Amino acid sequence: MHQILVINPGSTSTKIALFQNDKELWQESCSYSSEQLSGFSKSIDQFELRWKDIQKIIEVKKLNVKHLSSIVGRGGPFKPLKSGTYLINKHILEDVKKGRVQADHISNIGVLLAHQIASEANLPAYFVDPVSVDEFDDIARISGLPELERKSLLHALNIKATAYYISQKLGKKLANLNLVIAHLGGGISICAMRKGQIIDVNNANEGGPFSPERSGYLPVSSLVKLCYSGKYEYPELKRKLVGKGGLTAHLGTNDSREVEKRIESGDQQARAIYEAMAYQIAKEIGAMATVLKGQIDRIAITGGLARSQILMDWIQDRIAFLAQVEIIPGENEMDALAAGALRVLTGEEKALSYQ
Amino acid sequence: MKKQFQILVINPGSTSTKIGVFKNETETFNHSISHSVRELDAFSKMTDQYGYRSEIIQKTLLENGFALDSFDAVVGRGGLLKPIPGGTYHINQKMLDDLTEAKRGEHASNLGAMIANSLGNIANAPSFIVDPVVVDEMEPEARISGMPEIERRSIFHALNQRAVARKACQEIGKGYEDANLIVAHLGGGISIGCHSKGRVIDVNNAFNGDGPFSPERAGGLPTGQLAELCFSGKYTLPNIKSKLVGKGGLVAYLGSNNSLEIQKRIEKGDEEASLVYRAMGYQISKEIGACAAVLKGQVDAIIVSGGLSNDDMLMQQIRNHVRWISQIFIYPGEKEMEALADGALRILKGEEEVKIY
Repeated sequence: MHQILVINPGSTSTKIALFQNDKELWQESCSYSSEQLSGFSKSIDQFELRWKDIQKIIEVKKLNVKHLSSIVGRGGPFKPLKSGTYLINKHILEDVKKGRVQADHISNIGVLLAHQIASEANLPAYFVDPVSVDEFDDIARISGLPELERKSLLHALNIKATAYYISQKLGKKLANLNLVIAHLGGGISICAMRKGQIIDVNNANEGGPFSPERSGYLPVSSLVKLCYSGKYEYPELKRKLVGKGGLTAHLGTNDSREVEKRIESGDQQARAIYEAMAYQIAKEIGAMATVLKGQIDRIAITGGLARSQILMDWIQDRIAFLAQVEIIPGENEMDALAAGALRVLTGEEKALSYQ
Repeated sequence: MKKQFQILVINPGSTSTKIGVFKNETETFNHSISHSVRELDAFSKMTDQYGYRSEIIQKTLLENGFALDSFDAVVGRGGLLKPIPGGTYHINQKMLDDLTEAKRGEHASNLGAMIANSLGNIANAPSFIVDPVVVDEMEPEARISGMPEIERRSIFHALNQRAVARKACQEIGKGYEDANLIVAHLGGGISIGCHSKGRVIDVNNAFNGDGPFSPERAGGLPTGQLAELCFSGKYTLPNIKSKLVGKGGLVAYLGSNNSLEIQKRIEKGDEEASLVYRAMGYQISKEIGACAAVLKGQVDAIIVSGGLSNDDMLMQQIRNHVRWISQIFIYPGEKEMEALADGALRILKGEEEVKIY
């Protein structure tokens, strides 16, 4: 039996959960207001604040850290890495502390927090499938301009967890499966997974279907014109691409339930935009199907938007011909992190070493 | 005996004008008239060249024994008009006014309608244009991008796409209006269209930058990184534009837009050339897959055309990725002259109704 503590720092809260094998025993969360966090210019500066609150929870829960098997922290936009569960070692700690990462994001400190607890009890600590998982075939890296390499950044944690779920359901090893997996959340990642490896994905910040908050692919000449129009500063334009694009830009909300309510009450504009999002998702799935040369065991649709029946109907109508579709709504990062640690603890998988 | 129609075809390029004479489907004469830059420079606006080019065409026809009044129709290549449904259009004053104003841009093809109209008037024959690049039959869901101020637009190689689509339909014994087809035009620019029952309901915009990169164009690009480049202060707008169209794609990586030369490099073991060239085929395949989803998998044929379809290596690669979708027809080259003549012929024969701009 393995006891695993999961630490997941998000932009406005830190979630902490205790697992016994794959079963969650409890979960706690401490939230932060934007005023509380406004003083920190870099994510790493929040370490002390987050650490203190984690200690409080450990105390309140009367958790004896020495009885744990391991700690697992959420990974961040580190350097490009192979998919898997990584032992947190001095190299990753150094890289995060020195800012040798692809972007500043609060998830980066997950490894610092996990390590802090683990080192006191002399336990192994891990991180699992960070957003910087990169298993691209070289051919997928090439864009139409040498200066702009296509990069692998994706919702790897949930996508990999979904892949494991399907492999168990089918009773087949991941290494024997070809999957197209669509993670539909505030951002959208659609990937081609060949024998367990994510060989291509739209980068949710840089392209693919538009999503509740991101603009996705845009006709590039029009985008360039906008950049040079003098109307926008760079940060404002960036927010139009990520944060305030997609549904938010068209409909003023990123909440799909709100959009569906409007559609039900006859709002044609809301319907047209929502349907266009489904259309672009279907096209991206079709594109990834050719990456796998049509040899696809399953298409999986996951993430919060997979709860939307109308969206699922529209998408399936266009892609049902490709392969059987599995709809696995929601995402559970805590489960996925615990499962990643557990695979290593049970010996099912070997921990990877961050170099 | 069936009536034979004689058709004059005019296809103006930036420094030449191609003319062709067709007896029904058969070309009986063709000639490419070169214009020196010095002669063309005398005109401040491109559209002012039409009288000059018309006269040279008349002279050439006379020298080769064609009287203008022997033509049943004159057909010119269409230009940058307002967005219109595909088909064969009568050239009217409204069209000529729009082309003269060049509201939607100057392009040599704008001269096609003007020259055809002036020669048609002299010959006392009807004049037409066929499937200009502005053909727009996109469904509403295809027009919406992730940013309200940017609309996806339909601008593509409509003339050649339609012509090869009809040809494939003949081979499979299905009417173009009954078929679902994916047509990939692979030239200096690449456009891949979803033809659903006679209408092109979605197509990547090869001119305004989305879809696969091509020999000279960058195609779709990572948007955040592109914005960063624009705001870097390193490039002017014209710099960036020329990176997108003209100096993007194969040219940017390999310094050449010549696929024959690149193939030679690959044969000699140039790995970078091989990777970039295969990446182009990879993106073309992905775009074809996206179209398959648009058509819900009901695809009667995939048709590949344009200059790049002469390359067996590229065709083999694309075949590997997409052959599970449908049967594939490959029609190398571009048949603009035939496509224009056929468009006019369908009207003369009464097979299709002429459209009014």
